Amino acid sequence: MKVEENDRAVHGLLEEEHRRCKDILQSLLDKMKEYPKGSLNVRKKYYKDNVYHYHYLVSREGGAVVNRHVPEEKLPLVREHMKQREKYQKEIQSYRKRIAYLERLLKIPKLQRSRDKHSS
Amino acid sequence: MTNILRNNLFPKEIHTLLRTLSNVGFFDRSTLIGSWVMPIFQEIYHATYVLKTLDVDFAVHVAHSNSCLRADLEQIITSLGFVDYVSAGGVQKFSSGGYEVEFIAHRKGSRNDDAMQVREWNIVAQPLPLISLLLDFSEEALLDDFIIRYPVPEAFFIHKLIVAQKRRSPAKQSKDLEQCAVLMNILRDDPLLHIMESVRLGRGTKGHLRTSCTALNFPLHRLGL
Repeated sequence: MKVEENDRAVHGLLEEEHRRCKDILQSLLDKMKEYPKGSLNVRKKYYKDNVYHYHYLVSREGGAVVNRHVPEEKLPLVREHMKQREKYQKEIQSYRKRIAYLERLLKIPKLQRSRDKHSS
Repeated sequence: MTNILRNNLFPKEIHTLLRTLSNVGFFDRSTLIGSWVMPIFQEIYHATYVLKTLDVDFAVHVAHSNSCLRADLEQIITSLGFVDYVSAGGVQKFSSGGYEVEFIAHRKGSRNDDAMQVREWNIVAQPLPLISLLLDFSEEALLDDFIIRYPVPEAFFIHKLIVAQKRRSPAKQSKDLEQCAVLMNILRDDPLLHIMESVRLGRGTKGHLRTSCTALNFPLHRLGL
């Protein structure tokens, strides 16, 4: 009987950790939305003897590739935000891995896992 | 005499975080709380415990709600590689490598659960009752070359006895009581009674204490109940 009680306690802790990870993942995803997605692209324009550099933020929206011009003065800020976004992505990745691991341990059916994924 | 802790007591990320907080004077009044205090008790008082959490909690001492900025902890912690986010309850948290850092402040009287802006440290803390118990009865230890503050085991024990009965999650409740059971053997009677005499506890809170003590088979008279 004691063994079963201990198992339940451990299972409860794992469930708690699973819930905690999912909450954090959602909060991190929400926060990441504040930063621009995509990558910076530079286009060179030649005019007379001069070369002009124009920066674009390239991202995918739906099926289309969208180029958004980034003014020179906003470039440092955009670069900083992109770095931030990368940090969040890295953190999100580690939580996704942990959630997957916990779901295997907790034997959560795949159907429920994908349903949860879509709802978050 | 200051207690001296082993240099490698905490993982590298937590060690760096503690050092950074110590360097800005955070541990002058505020303390490390939660399960991460258990390794300290294990080191100093030989209370054996296996750590099972990645949450790192700090009790933040709020001198005055309008205190001027002492150190920008948001900026300092994110510069260590943590990312900050706001939880569903509006509390600011920091995350890195799976570790989650949170600040908790003492909630006075009212049941207002709104997140608390702490200007002195530029953070948003979660207000909870009875945190002053941990802040008021704390001690210091030397870790590597810096000082950290943590609650005395007796205050930690009493706090856990109370919160265990307030938990909604049975797993968390059993974790709280498990920590209490580990600490039971190292508790000193004088500090226990001194803390109990110093704090004003309501009838409900005393009821929580009794329930937890009964579950742990801990003599009530040691708490003056």
